[in-house]
Amino acid sequence: MPALIAASAIRTCFGNGAATFDALLRGASGVVPLRHGDPARLHVSYGYHAEGSDPERPFLAGELLADCLSEAAGQAGLDPSGKRVAVLVGTGLRELSAVERWVLGEPVFDPERLHFGDLVRRALPGVREVVTISNACSASGHALALAQDLVELGEADAVLACGADTMTRSMLAMIGRVAPVPTEQVHPFDADRTGVLLGDGAAAVVVVPASWSGPVLGRLAATGLSCDAHHETAPDVEGISRSMRDAFARAGRNPAEVDLVVAHGTGTALNDAAESEALRKVLLGAGADPLVTGVKGATGHTSGSASLVNLDVALRCLAGGVVPPITGLRTVLAEGDGLRFVAGEPAALQPELVQVNAFGFGGVNAVTLLEAA
Amino acid sequence: MSNAAPVITAWSLHLPGIDLSPALTERFGLSADLAGQPAVPAERAAEVLGRKGMLYKEPATRLALCAVHRAFAVPAGKRPGFAPSPGTAVVVASNLGNVEAVARVTRTVQAEGGSAVSVLDAPNASSNIIASTIALWFGFGAANLMVCSGTGAGFDGLELSLLLLRAGRADRVVLVGAEPDDPVATELYAGSGRLRAGAACLVLEQPAAGERRLSVQLSDGPGLPDLTVGPGGDFDPARQWGEFYGAQDVIALALAAELAVAGQHGTVGVRSTGRPRQAVLSPGGGP
Repeated sequence: MPALIAASAIRTCFGNGAATFDALLRGASGVVPLRHGDPARLHVSYGYHAEGSDPERPFLAGELLADCLSEAAGQAGLDPSGKRVAVLVGTGLRELSAVERWVLGEPVFDPERLHFGDLVRRALPGVREVVTISNACSASGHALALAQDLVELGEADAVLACGADTMTRSMLAMIGRVAPVPTEQVHPFDADRTGVLLGDGAAAVVVVPASWSGPVLGRLAATGLSCDAHHETAPDVEGISRSMRDAFARAGRNPAEVDLVVAHGTGTALNDAAESEALRKVLLGAGADPLVTGVKGATGHTSGSASLVNLDVALRCLAGGVVPPITGLRTVLAEGDGLRFVAGEPAALQPELVQVNAFGFGGVNAVTLLEAA
Repeated sequence: MSNAAPVITAWSLHLPGIDLSPALTERFGLSADLAGQPAVPAERAAEVLGRKGMLYKEPATRLALCAVHRAFAVPAGKRPGFAPSPGTAVVVASNLGNVEAVARVTRTVQAEGGSAVSVLDAPNASSNIIASTIALWFGFGAANLMVCSGTGAGFDGLELSLLLLRAGRADRVVLVGAEPDDPVATELYAGSGRLRAGAACLVLEQPAAGERRLSVQLSDGPGLPDLTVGPGGDFDPARQWGEFYGAQDVIALALAAELAVAGQHGTVGVRSTGRPRQAVLSPGGGP
């Protein structure tokens, strides 16, 4: 029995989910000059900072997450007291920026603040389990998969699957180190893409069983998981394809049914080529002809939140029958030949089955299938 | 999906610098070479894992690899050479595994600029480096989870491992706990206690095959077996040896498995170091 999404809340450089979707429809980019660390030393000049927040504020990821938790629980009308409510937080970088501030001279802090347990319990009193899963750029997709498992197995009355990430100097340094020229804007699936930039972000969705009597935004068919076990940082077409096939097998659906993909699309040479190839192989190979969109040209790479930011966009596509274009896409990459990327203008489509992709460092893959309630 | 209790088919401890006797040998009748001890420290991991591939592997990653290597009884100094296993998941519990790398990169950027940072350190900037390295090293291609939930992360890892099996996401889960005791991790943890480096591994499977059957079940009730491991139990690794933080509960579970089988103590309970939770390990379990 599929699980349902009762509520979804996100924070990006544009603000909440409605503001983010509106910006996507306009083809806007939230990129700004980097205000975290020393851009000259890091060799990174731009980023996508959370709307209305100081990017250097300590424990900012947790703050953004707390906002999302409150909004999502309120939207769903969910009161955890007396119920079995679990919270799974997916994150790539936890609050590791606190380690960096400490190394640079600020006072030491309690290592229990590296994860989000105490913060979640303060934001949502009465929740039972709170687990922080640090699964790189697909972390919140993994949280979503496990949330659905808990609900479907009857082990929780509701699960909040979450994501939270803000920038760290160490990850920015790695981005600066590998980019031949500093990236000024993320160009997903573009032939002349120049690499990724980070975006601050957070997300929370309320996953409930089919017996739920409250509001419903969409139906979770399944999330497939896989690990490439192939390379520490480079994605693998076969590993990515396995997560897609896992999703279809778990959902009992056919890849040919997918009519919209909200892609991972990081604007890196390796991801966008591998993701395109996997989409062609698994979806086009089965006879699908989906529209493909993506958000990171507009929001930057929100790392552990990215999967649920994509999910929020997918829910809005289901609700509104319109698909935003890929900000920053000019000329489609060669590997994307045959894929219908949405570029320039929004596309009218009432999707029936949406695929949401997220892939992370270490080859950790999470692919979600979502449909209208 | 299966309702039968999963079984632990293999386990290991890798606790460098810790003398297991006489605390365990005399009191509980375990042999001095319990579960492959004594263990080499992270800087000598090549003695277990072989020399190739050690460059830029953080101490916690090395200890975790050693624990898995031992659990699968791979000969010392040899690479596993396993066929890819798309049905094997990896769940790792660790909180401080990559803080030293994050600190190192931060200091390098501050002192010399980003161009002085090694790209080989890039994977270490991401907290899931231990879990993904185990997958890559041993060819484990099912779900890969890095649990960084603080005290009790190991028990969270156990619960998620059991969930992966129940949900049919894996037919085998390799659960690992690992923490380092590098200067950054040690200083960060100093306000909480004395951090020890160590790792442990449990291999959990659906009850089908497996020669050393040892069922594992979560227990809500107050009644635990006569012999328990963990806080307030008959043997508390933290009190005896120091604190392994995120790895603590996995170490307790592996020790309980050893007591149950090698020590012939029968059913053994394990209490979490985090919020009150317990597990029961019973020899001869399964269908």
